[in-house]
Amino acid sequence: MFFRTSLLLLAALLAAPVWAQDSLVVYSGRSDKFVKPVVDAFTKQTGIKVILHNAKSTALLNKLRIEADKTRADIFLSNDAGNLQKGADLGLFTKVSGASANVIDAQFRATDNTWIGLSARARVLVENTNSKNAGTVKSVFDLADPRLKDRIAITHSGNGSFVAGVTVYADKVGDKKTADWLNGLKSNSGGKVFNKHSKIVKAVASGKKDVGLVNHYYIYRHLAKKPNAPIRIVFPDQGSGDIGVAWNVAGVAISKYSKNTASAQKFVDFLVSKQGQKIFAEVNREYPTRNGVPSSKQVPARDSYKVADVPMAVLGKKRDATLNLIDSVGMP
Amino acid sequence: MPGSTFAALRRKVGTTGLLAGIIVLVTIIPLLFVGISSAQLSLDDWAGLWSQRLPGLFWNTLSLSFLVAIGSFVLGVSAAWLVARKDFVGKKIAIWLMVLPLTIPTYVFAHIYTTLLEEDGWLGQVWLSVFGDALAIPDLYNIWGVALILSLAGFSYVFLLVRTALRHSNRSLEEAALMQGAKPWQVMWYVNLPMMRPAIAAGLALVVLHTLSDFGAVSMLRFQTFTLSIYMQMNGRFDYQGAAGLSLVLVVLSLIFLVFERFSRKRQRFYSSALSTQPVIRRASVTEQVFIWLWIGGIALFAFLLPLGWMLHWSWQAIISAALQAPFLGYVWNSVIVAVAAATIAMIVAFPVAFFHARKQSRLSQWFLHFSSVGFVLPGPVVALGVLTAVLFFLPNLYGGLLALVLALVVRFLPLAVQSQEASLQHLTPSIEQAGRILGAGPVENLRRVILPMMRGGMATAWVLVFIDALKELPATLLLRPTGFDTLPIRIWIEASEEMLELAAPAALMLVITTLPALWIMMRDRDKDHKSTT
Repeated sequence: MFFRTSLLLLAALLAAPVWAQDSLVVYSGRSDKFVKPVVDAFTKQTGIKVILHNAKSTALLNKLRIEADKTRADIFLSNDAGNLQKGADLGLFTKVSGASANVIDAQFRATDNTWIGLSARARVLVENTNSKNAGTVKSVFDLADPRLKDRIAITHSGNGSFVAGVTVYADKVGDKKTADWLNGLKSNSGGKVFNKHSKIVKAVASGKKDVGLVNHYYIYRHLAKKPNAPIRIVFPDQGSGDIGVAWNVAGVAISKYSKNTASAQKFVDFLVSKQGQKIFAEVNREYPTRNGVPSSKQVPARDSYKVADVPMAVLGKKRDATLNLIDSVGMP
Repeated sequence: MPGSTFAALRRKVGTTGLLAGIIVLVTIIPLLFVGISSAQLSLDDWAGLWSQRLPGLFWNTLSLSFLVAIGSFVLGVSAAWLVARKDFVGKKIAIWLMVLPLTIPTYVFAHIYTTLLEEDGWLGQVWLSVFGDALAIPDLYNIWGVALILSLAGFSYVFLLVRTALRHSNRSLEEAALMQGAKPWQVMWYVNLPMMRPAIAAGLALVVLHTLSDFGAVSMLRFQTFTLSIYMQMNGRFDYQGAAGLSLVLVVLSLIFLVFERFSRKRQRFYSSALSTQPVIRRASVTEQVFIWLWIGGIALFAFLLPLGWMLHWSWQAIISAALQAPFLGYVWNSVIVAVAAATIAMIVAFPVAFFHARKQSRLSQWFLHFSSVGFVLPGPVVALGVLTAVLFFLPNLYGGLLALVLALVVRFLPLAVQSQEASLQHLTPSIEQAGRILGAGPVENLRRVILPMMRGGMATAWVLVFIDALKELPATLLLRPTGFDTLPIRIWIEASEEMLELAAPAALMLVITTLPALWIMMRDRDKDHKSTT
């Protein structure tokens, strides 16, 4: 009898859904601590509860794709425009309302409004101010210069931000030049690559490396902890004929199979509102994509440097080509 | 008529055989998924995989397995021999210290050692104070690092099995050799090692299978093995067919290995006479004891104490900075629910498969046994994907709860349960069963009153082994957990990739603590088992 009861209980446990039906489900590829503040503000304002399901962006996109119409997700948040565009190409998203899309510049969202970029990060150089190479590296392409042998710090080539950056460079200067550049990076890194951006900044600050390729906020994260660290941000490729700094955005999309589209749309509306934009970008010292919303005071203003004019959708459309390019070079 | 086919099948293989067949059918879902997906690969795709990916993956995977096997052999066999053949102070503690590393998942090992070896980490600072800048701090992002981590995380399996074998083996052979004037190393080489061979083979097989399917350590240390490459193929490129093709190659590789291992085990079997007495072991001299403890203590330091110290340190940081929040207990609860459900179901469904084989020893039962181990040789991400696809296809209305996750865990770890039950069934002679039948017990009553009570130890071991692995499981849980359902491994994974040490550490510590009762049950049963046989 006991045996049968426990089996029944077990069966009930396995079949029962574990969520509350009326909440908004957000598949979030962005760290909880950067998403929680904006979600809490949203719940406070609208009364809509949110369930955060955190994992890597690519893994979540994979899950969305396999689950198809059985998914419980209403919202997909990604740290990388490449994933958003990829999901749009796979037909996983539905359009957000034109009213909320239009407050964001066209280059930061999908052409058909199936996703919206929310906050931008710049791919920049961090240099040690005491190194003998300080002030001499002006372009990301300089990183392949043999004089910087063993002096550069880059992430491994599986890193999403690295891939997105390479996609921008390939789009601007072509595959051939990009492949040569990657070969130079490979040789200059001496096979030693970093698994975290934060470790790159650390290595540059300690003088182990002269210059590193990172997202801008990692520099300020380090400086917030160690204000006197001998490091400085360098915006690369700023000359008149140069390509400018590569950007990438974190953004949001509504699942095509959401049964909660009204709430999902409200969530997107909140994210592009001035209040939502400020909270979303500031926790990570990123640039809000909405014009007129100021970025964190610690980072250089967004109009103080030139940005590569590559629409963010390209990061998805050309990602596979970039992955093949990286594979063909055999980047570590 | 399906009803009559059913009845016919039942006549042919019996109820147990039929049940076993159904269970095996469920366990091969991932294999079917792999077969169907890779069938869609064109010859060109295969040629592409063959020329670009496979040679490197073969080399990486095989050389890693080899190094981990060596590492686990050295650590596991030496410790087991010392514990079984020497008497020294604190032996019970030593035994526990050699088993406790099982509570730490590979990704936690990898994470802890990478942070310890940073310049401001404990080991990094020690290194710098000893070597200064003359010698760079060793880096774990290579085959040696991964092999070290996986050996530390896996040698306990070898230790457990070899220790059991040594306790069971008859010491008279060793004594005979010694009396004939053999030196201790000759006894070790010509008597002990050959006698331990089945146990060593079984332990190393377990370690190598864990290595082949490990996802946590290789992905944290970015070492391209089959499993990591398959995961990246699925997640980075959404190329399921390529992933399935690679999985198929991995399955073939694992099967070759398993057949080889079974073969090498089959050729030799040692029977110890039931009446062999456990002789009194002379207490080791003080110098001997010092050396024994230096060795065992050294292993324990790196395989358990140092990681434990790290967890305690950062958990304390979390407590004093009040970073721990209420949901934390929820993670513990979620983990336990899932692991208990998986272990219980695996223990129950393993029985028909093990029982069928133990009684029939037929070719069919042998095949069932092989097929039920599919979950163990396929990488976790692939098992998860196969199960997910099947659940969405056959039981779409049940999707969203824990069903898919628990099913995947059962499929993954069923072989552990089947093996330990099979082992305990081997001790049970058919005559006992026949006696029950003669005395008028029906098959069900016989099962309930004779067979099940006699294999309680095997059942408990089955449950514990599945529980321990299910509690630590990462890749399937990542894909299949219900929305917003976070377990301890998930939190460790998330916090570790964000480098939130003070949040990853308490979760890892809770994982260790939660595993302890299960481990205790297993150790107690083992020792009881020995007392009754020796």
